[in-house]
Amino acid sequence: MPELKLKRGDVVMLEGQLSLEVREGEVLISGGLRGKGSRTVIPRAKSVPLEAEGDALVAYTLGQDGKVEQLSKRTIPREWDALISEVIQQRPKKILVMGSVDVGKSFFTTYLANTMLRHGLRPGAIDSDVGQSDVGPPATMGLGILKQPVAQLYEVPLSSAYFVGSMSPSEHMLEFVVGVKWLVEHGLKKADSVIVNTPGWIFGGPGRSLQLYTLETIDPDIVVAIQREGELEHLLSSVPRARVRRLPVSKKVRSRSSGERASLRAMTLGKYFEDAGKLVLNLRKVRLKRCYLHTGRPIDVGTLGVKAQIVHAEQMPEGMLIVIKRRVDKSVIQELEARFGHVRTIIQGSERNMMVGLTNDANEMLGIGIIERIDYERGRMVVLTPVKNADEVAAVQFGSMRIKPDGEEIGTIRQGTF
Amino acid sequence: MTLEQSEYQKLVERIIELLERHRGDPNAREAILSELRTLYKKIPIYPGIITELLPKVVQSTEMDKLKEGEEVVLVLRNGCIVSGKVVEIGPSEIKLVEGKRLDVSSLAEKVPVRREDVREAKVISRVVLEKEWPSLDFEEE
Repeated sequence: MPELKLKRGDVVMLEGQLSLEVREGEVLISGGLRGKGSRTVIPRAKSVPLEAEGDALVAYTLGQDGKVEQLSKRTIPREWDALISEVIQQRPKKILVMGSVDVGKSFFTTYLANTMLRHGLRPGAIDSDVGQSDVGPPATMGLGILKQPVAQLYEVPLSSAYFVGSMSPSEHMLEFVVGVKWLVEHGLKKADSVIVNTPGWIFGGPGRSLQLYTLETIDPDIVVAIQREGELEHLLSSVPRARVRRLPVSKKVRSRSSGERASLRAMTLGKYFEDAGKLVLNLRKVRLKRCYLHTGRPIDVGTLGVKAQIVHAEQMPEGMLIVIKRRVDKSVIQELEARFGHVRTIIQGSERNMMVGLTNDANEMLGIGIIERIDYERGRMVVLTPVKNADEVAAVQFGSMRIKPDGEEIGTIRQGTF
Repeated sequence: MTLEQSEYQKLVERIIELLERHRGDPNAREAILSELRTLYKKIPIYPGIITELLPKVVQSTEMDKLKEGEEVVLVLRNGCIVSGKVVEIGPSEIKLVEGKRLDVSSLAEKVPVRREDVREAKVISRVVLEKEWPSLDFEEE
């Protein structure tokens, strides 16, 4: 196992995949203090800085693409430390971290949270970057409360999560804004301060909307704007000047390709479903949310009298919803439309591999799941999920992605299908 | 799936449906595009109303119901499409003004085109998702 002797102030960049053990002295990894005997694993496509607090000895093992690079000086800008000192003194409740893609928002959040912890504060971190969520699985936003230092945000134990329904907040803006508000409120019950890491979608009407309404709903005490060349100024013009703190980007920020992001997501999801089992939910007890299904008045399919294999039907204010075994003749739909208005059809089996959120009655996310099948006639849904107790599940929130248990994304679902 | 959060999805689906319905009829498509442009310019915040109005732009009718002054598209038995404004309706024929005639018949296998006759060339690419965003190019169900 190679070793590295360090002197106070030495800086080393650790690039995953690697594992590291502190053998002598103390080091700071992502701002978190690590003493003798502590071990850290950095996964592939992630990198973090290590700073020696005094003389120290570390040993490491490199995995695929792993790298240890000794740097001549610190990579963390002085402005970051100045701001963090201010946070520690003033203890703002709500801190929002804003920035474009790959400017180091997650790292800043980790570094700030670790430093706050080192100064006796209890920080909460919310990762609302649903595409590459570090706290909670992809397609969710997660809240974690730091109780011990972490090298990466994903090491923060998940305290609460909110299912957004997709790897992108596009077309899920309502879930996003409601979710971030919900998590901040929950976080403030458990932590001294909550740091919100936001997605890098900052341009265009929807990007601006997402950021500005998030700002309005959270009403942060401090907005940390990490930017290269003033690319956040169009958003910051809406924020009271006294709350804005502009920070430069850390020099060693590593950018990721869309392929790397997708493979990171797949890895995280695959890991999430490693211990998953099949859960059978009784749809007469469990509520279905964010969908049309089970929101209308049930119709006895025997009374419909049409030539089609209809397994479920209900009357809704917008018309009728039917679940069919296979595609039916246009004349059947026309006949039903004449009686019930617009007919929305679901083909049995099309629910397979849909990603869903499972919540309890307090709207707290218990976990995510993948629908294996719905038995519409018996009112049962089989879901693959790490959630073990079906009695805890009060509601199923429909999402818009199809995934496999190994984490592979295999499709999207047209909104309103279910 | 999550509920629709705007009516634009239905508008896109309606446009696709109308383009398919009037495949091979550029006159009808042009009329739809023209009205879509006008509607969108006037009421961009009401995509639901645009969706409702768009199918009314081109509607099938019977020859006997045509009236003078109406703008029509007539698909002939030989495959040609004639469009224009009705100015005269007789027992065996009708007369149009401001008309256009379009021959949409298929061409023979090899079509010689003289370079000097070409004003503009356009390349059609039909697999843009695969080329530009391969991580989202999921297999069709």
